[in-house]
Amino acid sequence: MISDHSTAPRPSGEGTLQGNLFTPASSVLELRHVSCAYETGRPAVQGVSFAAREGEILCLLGPSGCGKTTILRAIAGFEPVRSGQLFLSGQLVSSPEVMTPTESRHVGMVFQEYALFPHLHVQDNIAFGLHHLPRSERASRVQEMLRLTGLDGFERRYPHELSGGQQQRVALARALVQNPVVLLLDEPFSNLDPDMAGRMRQELHDLLRRTKTTTVLVTHDHDEAFAMADRIAVLNQGRLEQFDTPEMMYHMPATPFVADFVGQADFIPGTVSHGIVHTELGEFPDTIDSKDGAAVVVMIRPDDIHLVPTEGARSHVLSRQFHGSENLYTVSLPSGQIVHSSQGSTSVYQVGTTVELRVLATHTVLFRQEESTNTSGPAQPTTRKH
Amino acid sequence: MSTTRHQLVSPLQLVALATAGIILLPLGYVTAQALSADPAVWSRLWATRIPELLFNTVSLAGSVSVITLILGVSTAWLVTRVEFPGRRLWEGALVLPLAMPTYVLAYVFSYLLGFGGPVEHLWQLIAGPQARVFSPHSYWGATLVMALDTFPFVYLLSRSALLSMNVSFEEVARASGVSRLSTLWRVTLPLMRPSIAAGIALVILYVVSDFGAVSLLRYQTLTYAVFQQMTGRADNTAASILSLLLVVLALIFLITERWFRQRSRFYQTTGRYQAPQRRQYGWLGTIAVTGYLGLIVGAAFALPAVLLIQWSLSPEALATIDSRFFGFIWNSGILAACAATGGVLIGLPLAYLASRRPTMLNLGCLQAAYAGYVLPGPVAALAVLVLFTKLAPVVYGSVLILIVAYVIHFLPAGLQSLEPALQHMSPNLEEVARTLGLGIRATWRRVTLPLVRNGFVVAWVLMFLQTMKELPATLLLRPVGFDTLAIRVWMEASEEYFQLAAPSALLIVLLSLPALVLLVSKDWRAA
Repeated sequence: MISDHSTAPRPSGEGTLQGNLFTPASSVLELRHVSCAYETGRPAVQGVSFAAREGEILCLLGPSGCGKTTILRAIAGFEPVRSGQLFLSGQLVSSPEVMTPTESRHVGMVFQEYALFPHLHVQDNIAFGLHHLPRSERASRVQEMLRLTGLDGFERRYPHELSGGQQQRVALARALVQNPVVLLLDEPFSNLDPDMAGRMRQELHDLLRRTKTTTVLVTHDHDEAFAMADRIAVLNQGRLEQFDTPEMMYHMPATPFVADFVGQADFIPGTVSHGIVHTELGEFPDTIDSKDGAAVVVMIRPDDIHLVPTEGARSHVLSRQFHGSENLYTVSLPSGQIVHSSQGSTSVYQVGTTVELRVLATHTVLFRQEESTNTSGPAQPTTRKH
Repeated sequence: MSTTRHQLVSPLQLVALATAGIILLPLGYVTAQALSADPAVWSRLWATRIPELLFNTVSLAGSVSVITLILGVSTAWLVTRVEFPGRRLWEGALVLPLAMPTYVLAYVFSYLLGFGGPVEHLWQLIAGPQARVFSPHSYWGATLVMALDTFPFVYLLSRSALLSMNVSFEEVARASGVSRLSTLWRVTLPLMRPSIAAGIALVILYVVSDFGAVSLLRYQTLTYAVFQQMTGRADNTAASILSLLLVVLALIFLITERWFRQRSRFYQTTGRYQAPQRRQYGWLGTIAVTGYLGLIVGAAFALPAVLLIQWSLSPEALATIDSRFFGFIWNSGILAACAATGGVLIGLPLAYLASRRPTMLNLGCLQAAYAGYVLPGPVAALAVLVLFTKLAPVVYGSVLILIVAYVIHFLPAGLQSLEPALQHMSPNLEEVARTLGLGIRATWRRVTLPLVRNGFVVAWVLMFLQTMKELPATLLLRPVGFDTLAIRVWMEASEEYFQLAAPSALLIVLLSLPALVLLVSKDWRAA
């Protein structure tokens, strides 16, 4: 179940900007055991390795302070690398000995605050990095970007005259017009209201697909990562916890931290005997080959627990949260263990209703007991919102 | 792709270090001279001058701060929390006294309050022919002039505290059943405390280092005494000792001001801004408020300005407006232009490094440049003088030495515009330019410079206009016969030739107005 961390470099179809004949790897972007530190002795990023394929959308997901923005800045060449290597289009650009300046890396960057030049029109913002081109070509490239990002008619506006969503589109256009090797997005939706963020997410996804832009996107929102990413790298305290597709991440989390971070999860303690895990919620297959008598926890998602109101059952409903499309129930088991269950929006049970629980164990995930104790242990079921 | 190793010491860094060194050198030299002075000089000064001077300086600072506290906070509260006709006009007018250099206000008041002056006439009509008003050449005279000239500092800081204060605090208090007056005492004023304290510290700093008013009103303070030691007795050692005391005193208040300003940030919650509710005053209230504000602005600006205009139009004054007079303007202008240009060129690397690479070293260099703050005019002059007579005696008595003193003295004023200009510009803007393929130099040219240009212009204009009206350093360091506008005002006023001083004084006030607009508009938000 542990996913392959360092994705084997596979040849990307088209050649990238420079003629890279002797490339160590042909991924567009590759990090090998990269560590960064703002202060010595307190690494912000530690031994992170991953690679992005041509045209892939990659998400760096994690709580604030996990080092995801540091990685982005290291790729852009704003932060030096303390150890390890960073390759762009197969060329070594960052290592303790090498530091290619940002302007030679051909990366596009969209900052959280967009960083639009306040003294320039929209069109001059977009054309900012195209000074080496003849005027007519510059204009046609800008026009094309304006059309692509739906900004026609805004070319003579100043950044402060635009809405948040429009500003973001300008920042995107400015980065994309350079045909960057890789596009770096730092929390691109955090400054937009939720409605706008949802729409921009869809638009951005379409745009990146159409332009086949290799993208690294930083976010702390797992919904955003799920919606956007081909693959997700979950980071925690500067370390890579898991690098995988969104589906694998959700259903087969490698660590309790990932399980908890990418969605709501309950951790039910159990004991192994003869290859079967016995828990308060029933029996599950032992997928990690534990010894008899080993203590394990089973991760269960709320959508895998079904409630059946039953007279005389020993579990009861503690509370209900209505989320529109679903009802999220908090249920107390006889032992006092708390679990969550997601039910349809029309299944309304009163607080105190006694219920039987049915677990649809198509994919249970097991962790050894000690693994889960350092994060949210089974004794404290998580309450992360869905 | 070109590849570089990280540079430890950039050329820019060296420039900044050198600048900081040059600025600190005179200050260090004065300190050294004071500390290495003969103990006999110290004990003589302690036995004779120092207790009196310290007492005079501190008591003047004390009385001025009490008065500015009352004037500043009350006026700020009126323009932000009360609605009455003409409020917006008063809001701006209350800043005007800052355009009056202290020596101009002092000279006008020595006429107004002087023996046989208009105030005495008025008072004698009421209280009988033998009645006297207090002399302007006294503790109270100096207090009045300094308070009227400096209360806008407290006003400005209190006003912006009242405006940026989250109204919710006051609303919560009212919702908990606390009366309007009680809310003012228990919520509004405590929240304003750091801003008020910062304003008062600024006022004290100003009073302690003022030369113009105390010299014209002949009130002995430390700053005045430094000047006298240098001119009357030509005793630079004694002057150094007094200067050191003065620098320590100024440093205390500068640190106080910085500390309170820092704290005031915590009191201003961010989030959605909501304009405060203003109470509408009826006609009675309007008359009372207008009378109060009119009295203050009238005494501190309007009346002196009218007098200056009247005097300037008198035949005696008009007769002085000749080619000599334009020579003074030219002298003032050329000095100020050199000082401002020098200041911007020197301040730029310091401010840039401190905002982009805020290492201890770079921040230290920047702080060194703020040394001018604790160097009152005569002290800056003394510092530069003793250093140059030691190192390069040839420049003594030349304009160059004067310009160096100006740059050291007014660099803080310039930095205060340069620094925010650079800080307000997000480093992301420079970074994004780098991702778009621009090198360091191109980024500077196409992004940084265009965006900080306004800050530069403001810094230049501020330093220019401050230098225009500088008095003590000019008096002490100018080449023989090289007079400026400020010098003329002071010399004529010292001899009580009120009319003759008026044209130069009026010109200085008029030139100070744009500086004031620049200074205030930086963080002005109309209430």
